[in-house]
Amino acid sequence: MSDLRPLLLRRGPLLLTALLLCALPFYLDAFWLRIGLFSMAAAIGAVGLGLLSGTAGQLSLGHAFFLAVGAYGYVWLAGEPGPGLPPAVAAVLAVLLAGAAGGLFSPVAGRVKGIYLGVATLALVFLGHHVLLTADSVTGGFNGRSVPPLELGGFTFAESDPELTVLGVPFGAEERLWYLGLVLFAVTWFTARGLLRGRPGRALVALRDSETAASVMGVHVARYRSTAFVVSSMYAGLAGVLLALSFRRVVPDYFSLALSVDYLAMIVIGGLGSVAGATAGAVFVTALPLLMTRYADQLPLVAAPGSGGGSIGPTEASRYLYGAAIVLILLFAPDGLHGLARRTRARLRRRPSVTGPPGSGPSPAPGRAGSDAASDTTARAKEHTP
Amino acid sequence: MTTPATAPPALDVRGVTVRFAGLLALDDVSFTVAPGTVHAVIGPNGAGKSTCFNVLSGLYRPTAGSVRLGAAELTRLAPHRIAALGVARTFQNIVTTQGTVADNLMLGRHALSHAGFAASALRLPRAVREQREHLAKAREIAELTGLGAHFDSPVALLSYGDRKRVELARALCLEPRVLLLDEPVAGMNAAERIRMTEVVREIRAELGLSVVLVEHDMGLVMRLADEVTVLDFGRAIAHGTPGEVRRDPEVLRAYLGTTTGEDAA
Repeated sequence: MSDLRPLLLRRGPLLLTALLLCALPFYLDAFWLRIGLFSMAAAIGAVGLGLLSGTAGQLSLGHAFFLAVGAYGYVWLAGEPGPGLPPAVAAVLAVLLAGAAGGLFSPVAGRVKGIYLGVATLALVFLGHHVLLTADSVTGGFNGRSVPPLELGGFTFAESDPELTVLGVPFGAEERLWYLGLVLFAVTWFTARGLLRGRPGRALVALRDSETAASVMGVHVARYRSTAFVVSSMYAGLAGVLLALSFRRVVPDYFSLALSVDYLAMIVIGGLGSVAGATAGAVFVTALPLLMTRYADQLPLVAAPGSGGGSIGPTEASRYLYGAAIVLILLFAPDGLHGLARRTRARLRRRPSVTGPPGSGPSPAPGRAGSDAASDTTARAKEHTP
Repeated sequence: MTTPATAPPALDVRGVTVRFAGLLALDDVSFTVAPGTVHAVIGPNGAGKSTCFNVLSGLYRPTAGSVRLGAAELTRLAPHRIAALGVARTFQNIVTTQGTVADNLMLGRHALSHAGFAASALRLPRAVREQREHLAKAREIAELTGLGAHFDSPVALLSYGDRKRVELARALCLEPRVLLLDEPVAGMNAAERIRMTEVVREIRAELGLSVVLVEHDMGLVMRLADEVTVLDFGRAIAHGTPGEVRRDPEVLRAYLGTTTGEDAA
């Protein structure tokens, strides 16, 4: 009994958030739910990229490729033409397929370091895009393919079959997919935090900070680099599957270099090395263009989509905005939204009681890896003074 | 922390030569670290001491020669394999990773734990249990090295001396049989030096491991070392107990820059 209260206090915010997210489909219309779905899919992918680029320090510009492998993998495996597997099986296989694709790249991913890996992965995006356009029988070419809905034990994640009304709210595709997205995102959250706080996470942080120190402490450098790449690809594959299900149609042009850059923007804005940060960044980068498109007519300086005439469309405008956000974050909060939130929380906590040693908060800050960047640099500068 | 049941095997360095392009960094260096002793490697700047450590820990592959720990030949192994054999080291310039002292010490437990990506991601009971056990060990080692109060503080906020100690504690977390200390008291003030000396003496007595020590502080070397090897321009110019080495004319020449001929004049 005595254990229950602190546990509830600690888990309280998480439980409350989960409850809130579960209740949303009863109040929001399809437009908002779709934004949520895309955000959840992006968050899953961003968490994967954060693990690779934020925690392990390995830049990847090939994330769009692995998203495509997941999305197209699912469509082909579950669809016609294709093996026509049960969709649930196809989804699992698509994630594994993305992991396998990452594994095939591991001879490079295990040896090449940091920004050089970024350049190497750049090739994947162009290769992938070319294959998507030309391998018509599998990918449907330029026009893409429609996505078969997911089906789990007779329950279809689509408008009907079975018809479903919960508490007077008709459950269409968006509502059903929302819960699927929540479950997949919860799995991502749980596993990624387990990884980061466990032995592999510490090894990856060590690899990023000092390859030499990591190796003399017993970390198999090449193996950890390539495994991080594979795991990141699998998260991308999962995100790809969820994206495909939400879009209901996959087209090659979506999986371009710009998408990879979007994902990098997400983890930079959110804060490198943190799961919560990657999620916040993903929501920001995903939701912004959609919201601006929706409210283009009410915004100054932004033209409604399709009006043309040299004015700035909502998509471009949102790109400017998140470009500006990146610049601001790099200048004023290099540890991203996550670091900003952590520092605000620490300041609020310090105000009522001035006592207490630094760094002894009641709960360890989530995803410590990306934190303390600012204080680090100041402290490290002193290192070499004799 | 458990004392190893058996004494550590001897570390045998035979004819190690390291050549960087035209530069001969180590020239046919040989010495043996007897089990359970403190062996100091000293010499002027640029004598090849750190190169020697990099060979021992597998970061450099020597051009010729062998390094044996018991029956294992170390020169053919990757650094992480050498770590797994129980050879731990610290660095001359502090190399810690981001995060708390606990995070750094837990990195030292890496070679002794097993939880992989899948087990950690799914938080399998054995991974959780393993992490808890190793965290307890790490805390013990933090207490032993006087870092107990800082266990959950970010390393970046610690003083220079404390960060040096984090490195030592991290190396100890590997439960090494051979501990390589690269200038453990460099840049420390007198009080910190005395504390560090005490800590090294204590861990050696308590854990019975062999220590290889690179240090410029002759006071520390004389107090701690059982045996000393002197390097100069990559060559081993003298071996012996601290007392013997201190009187060796070659050593005096290397350190003071005088020749015996000039001495006579």
